[in-house]
Amino acid sequence: MNMTKIVRTTADLFYPFCLVFGLYVVLHGHLTPGGGFQGGAVMATGAALLLVSRRYEDITRSLRQNTMKLCEAVGLLMFITAGLAGLFAGGAFLYNGLAGAGGLFGEPVAFGANPGGLNTAGLIPLLNIAVGIEVLGGLTVILLYMLSGVKETEP
Amino acid sequence: MRTALFTAILLILLAGFLQVAVGLPFGKPARTDMDDYFLAHAQDQAAANNVVTSVVFDFRGFDTLGEATVLFTAVLGVGMMFRKLKPGEEYEHD
Amino acid sequence: MTPLLLLQALLLLGLIVTAVLVIAFKDLLSSAIAFAAFSLLLALEFYLLQAPDVAIAEAGIGAGLTTAIFIIAIRGTKRYEEKD
Repeated sequence: MNMTKIVRTTADLFYPFCLVFGLYVVLHGHLTPGGGFQGGAVMATGAALLLVSRRYEDITRSLRQNTMKLCEAVGLLMFITAGLAGLFAGGAFLYNGLAGAGGLFGEPVAFGANPGGLNTAGLIPLLNIAVGIEVLGGLTVILLYMLSGVKETEP
Repeated sequence: MRTALFTAILLILLAGFLQVAVGLPFGKPARTDMDDYFLAHAQDQAAANNVVTSVVFDFRGFDTLGEATVLFTAVLGVGMMFRKLKPGEEYEHD
Repeated sequence: MTPLLLLQALLLLGLIVTAVLVIAFKDLLSSAIAFAAFSLLLALEFYLLQAPDVAIAEAGIGAGLTTAIFIIAIRGTKRYEEKD
C-alpha cells in the first residue's frame, strides 16, 4: 500500500544519504570503524525506506528482485574468487598477497598511529566490497520476498 | 503470595548476578598473547590501520566466509518460504 | 559520579522502559516503533562502551531493517493484538 505523502517525501529525501553513508562505511572499512557487513546493512536500510513507503508494484519497477539476487550471488562469488586467487598466488586461502606490493591497494603502511591512506591493505578492501554487495542484495531480497508474500490491504 | 515469592527469587538471582558482575574487571582480559600479536603485526602483515578489520578479513578471513555463507543460506530459506506460486495456487492460511 | 556514568545510567533506564513498552502495547505498530527506539538506545550504549563496529551494525539492522520487516508483517496480518 502507499503510505501518506509525508512518509513518501521523507523516504525520498533520506534514502540517498543512507546509500552514500553505507558506501562510505564499506569503502573505508580498512581505515575507520565498520566494514562490509555494517555498510551493507546501512545501504539495505536505505532500500527498506523506499520499500516500506511505496506500493509493491511501483517499487519493483526500479528495484528488481532479480538484480538484488544477482548482487547477492556476485558478492559471495567475488569473496570466494578472491580467496582462491590468494590460494594460487601465495599458497594459502585468502592469502593477502596484494598488501605492500604496490599497485592496486598496495601501499605499505607505517607502524604506529597514523591516519593511513585509502590505497592500502591489499585484499581487505576487495573483500569488504564483496561482503557489502552481498549483504545489500541479501537483506533487500528478504524484504522483497516478504513484500511479495503479503496481501495488499488498503487501510 | 506466588507473585511475592517469584519477585523474591528474581531479586535474589539479580543480587547474585550483580555481585559476580561487579567483581569482574572490565576491559582487562586474563590472557593477551594473541591481542599483542595482532596489535604488533596488523600493520606490516595486513597493511590495514583498522586492526579490527584486519582480524576479521585477513587473520580470521575464513570465519567471514562462513558468515557470508550463513547469510546466503538464510536468504535461500526465506526464498523457499515465499516462493513464486503456480497459477491458481494460494498461500496456506489457518 | 561522572557525566559519562550518568549518561549510561540514563540509557540503561531508557532501555528497560522501552523493553517494557514493547510488551505492554496492544497496538503492534506502536510495539514495533518501541522496539526501534530500544535498538537505537542499545546502539548508543554500544558506542559509549567503545564498540563502534557493533553500534553501526545494531543501528542498521536493529533500528532499520527489523522495524521494516515487522511493519511488512503487520501489513500482512492484523494490527491489534486480540484478547483471549
